[in-house]
Amino acid sequence: MRQSDTAARAVVEPTSEETEFVFFSGKGGVGKSTVSCATATWLADNDYETLLVTTDPAPNLSDIFNQDIGHEVTGIDDVPNLSAIEIDPDVAAEEYRQETIEPMRALLDDEEIETVEEQLNSPCVEEIAAFDNFVDFMDSPEYDVVVFDTAPTGHTIRLMELPSDWNAELEKGGSTCIGPAASMDDKKADYERAIDTLSDESQTSFAFVGKPESSSIDEIERSTSDLAELGIESQLLVVNGYLPESVCDDPFFEGKRADEQAVIDRVESTFERQALATYPLQPGEIAGLELLSDVGGVLYDGDEATVDVDAATRRASDHEAVDFDSLTASDAVAEELAPVEDTRYLFFTGKGGVGKSTIASTTAVSLAEAGYETLVVTTDPAAHLADIFEQPVSHEPTSVGQANLDAARIDQERALEEYRTQVLDHVREMYAEKDDTQIDVEAAIANVEEELESPCAEEMAALEKFVSYFEEDGYDVVVFDTAPTGHTLRLLELPSDWKGFMDLGSLTKGAAPANGGKYDEVIDTMQDSSRSSFAFVMYPEFTPMMEAYRAAMDLKDQVGIETSLVVANYLLPKDDGNNAFFENRRAQQGEYLTEIKERFDVPMMLAPLRQEEPVGLDDLREFGTEVTGLARLLEDDREEVTVS
Amino acid sequence: MTELTLYEEAMCCSTGVCGPDPDDELVEVSAALDQLETEIDDLDVSRANMQHDIDQFLETQRIYDLVEEHGPSILPITIVDDEIVAKSEYLSYNALKAAVTDRESAPEA
Repeated sequence: MRQSDTAARAVVEPTSEETEFVFFSGKGGVGKSTVSCATATWLADNDYETLLVTTDPAPNLSDIFNQDIGHEVTGIDDVPNLSAIEIDPDVAAEEYRQETIEPMRALLDDEEIETVEEQLNSPCVEEIAAFDNFVDFMDSPEYDVVVFDTAPTGHTIRLMELPSDWNAELEKGGSTCIGPAASMDDKKADYERAIDTLSDESQTSFAFVGKPESSSIDEIERSTSDLAELGIESQLLVVNGYLPESVCDDPFFEGKRADEQAVIDRVESTFERQALATYPLQPGEIAGLELLSDVGGVLYDGDEATVDVDAATRRASDHEAVDFDSLTASDAVAEELAPVEDTRYLFFTGKGGVGKSTIASTTAVSLAEAGYETLVVTTDPAAHLADIFEQPVSHEPTSVGQANLDAARIDQERALEEYRTQVLDHVREMYAEKDDTQIDVEAAIANVEEELESPCAEEMAALEKFVSYFEEDGYDVVVFDTAPTGHTLRLLELPSDWKGFMDLGSLTKGAAPANGGKYDEVIDTMQDSSRSSFAFVMYPEFTPMMEAYRAAMDLKDQVGIETSLVVANYLLPKDDGNNAFFENRRAQQGEYLTEIKERFDVPMMLAPLRQEEPVGLDDLREFGTEVTGLARLLEDDREEVTVS
Repeated sequence: MTELTLYEEAMCCSTGVCGPDPDDELVEVSAALDQLETEIDDLDVSRANMQHDIDQFLETQRIYDLVEEHGPSILPITIVDDEIVAKSEYLSYNALKAAVTDRESAPEA
């Protein structure tokens, strides 16, 4: 029953004869898939020919629609007018690589082809391939509307930025890092049309999905303003998964709910130019057409939001309580955290919003308390270490008030400036050594400067800084609160890639670069499990688990790095939330905890959901006592470890 | 009109400004080509690398034959008005200028 039209409806509903496009952005685990599916289903139910495109690497459309979908456009059995396709970004990148290589086969032998293939294993190529997926579907006249369940926010924005750069480069007739592949010139028109469409508000809508949490909303605010800089206005914000009033019947959850409502109030005033829609947390996961149409009804028809515990997909009564103790072992965790002989490098990685800054900071505080000289570093541009420690945290390591503990954050702009200076100095020096040259050195420098205005230069700059923290002396432990997984992976992959390029010699004919050895060392260190530990932080739900698992597999396959630990964060407290709703949520968490244990098969750190995020050293110390293994670091009977 | 074409190996970035350290040779040749293009009105410079411009390798018989016979180590190949002036190495600014001006002063064929 339609009660009223919503502002959200005006954003997603097509208004013209031309195909319209709706993009959903948001971090994994916020319910982006659910909202995309619900939107597509709602549109189809309203008689629009609809295509749903997901580029999620761990797609769960098949769970949601209870039907296999895959790499081809597939009609959804139970929803007339709706088709869907799941694009695997890895498969897409491989296809793109093969398309590029195919014509070279005529000219090169197998060994040479292999060399080129290795070169094409670059993040840049993956960016291009991913963007191609969008472009392919931006010409779909047979549909009234195409809904994209896009890749995570930052990634998407990068994709949007790249085409303008490409076009500038193509006009110059050069080739660059992000450079044109064989058929790039032919594609120019397609890319241009895609960009035009993307920035045409009447044809394209951008929507964000977030949780009612400050960090989630902050992230969206940043992404929205990045988009605005590209001339793209975000038009809709969906706040998903707020605690329903009816189930919050104790101080813990009443407090949580009040915090969430304050965030939603803030959203209403900050994002006043956008349509806002909200959907409550449900006792189970949202799958099946009935729940999807409930989401669509609430978002677009103004239906009242309801929570039905009996309709939950998982019922607490069907499950035995999970025995937390059987999942963890303090000693095994502590062993992965404490240094052995040399400096230990700890990497806490995971998607935004899983609480990894807090976990990394808490771990760092515990290590420092245990007497280890500790540095905690964030590579996340959205870093909020300063908020966590209530102390300024800058580009260079400084004390945050706890004995033995320093903190630092990579300042992207400064890192870029340092990298630019380094490159320009190098070029000046090179010309200074050739005094007989008739080249206009200043013009050459100006050229190089211009080349440094590229996304690749930003990546290299961040990588340089990242690597420099491996050279910090005097620490027993360096804790990295890494950037969101995709970005991190790229940073971590790059050394291997560049090493590949260097070995291949095509990029660096002649003199071997001075930096080569440095990267080798960093990779060796990261691969050595007695010196480096990789911890994946997640909360026990499907998407965060799958994203972490996939990232862990990538680390292993591409860089040869094994995962050492998993951190399961935000576990519902045992003593609060005593009703069927939270019993169901707990049962669901328990199920995923068991699955995480099976998938990763490494020691687990369990961390509870707290009323308030820990802020300041006192809170962090206290929180440390609640996280598996951290208290163990402080106990005397741990084997005495000597560190140089 | 003098045409200078450089055929290069598959590479991600022909300017050399890419990666931890800039590639000296590529920076030099990029600057040299830019400067020559500015200094000499009648010069048309183009670069083709195997990754981005494979078509030009396939369609230019001479280049195709050379790469097929010797492998990519024959690259880079510098061609000035249909004449191969260098193989397996990048020319310096001076050498490039000499190659181009020789051509220009040579009688029209």
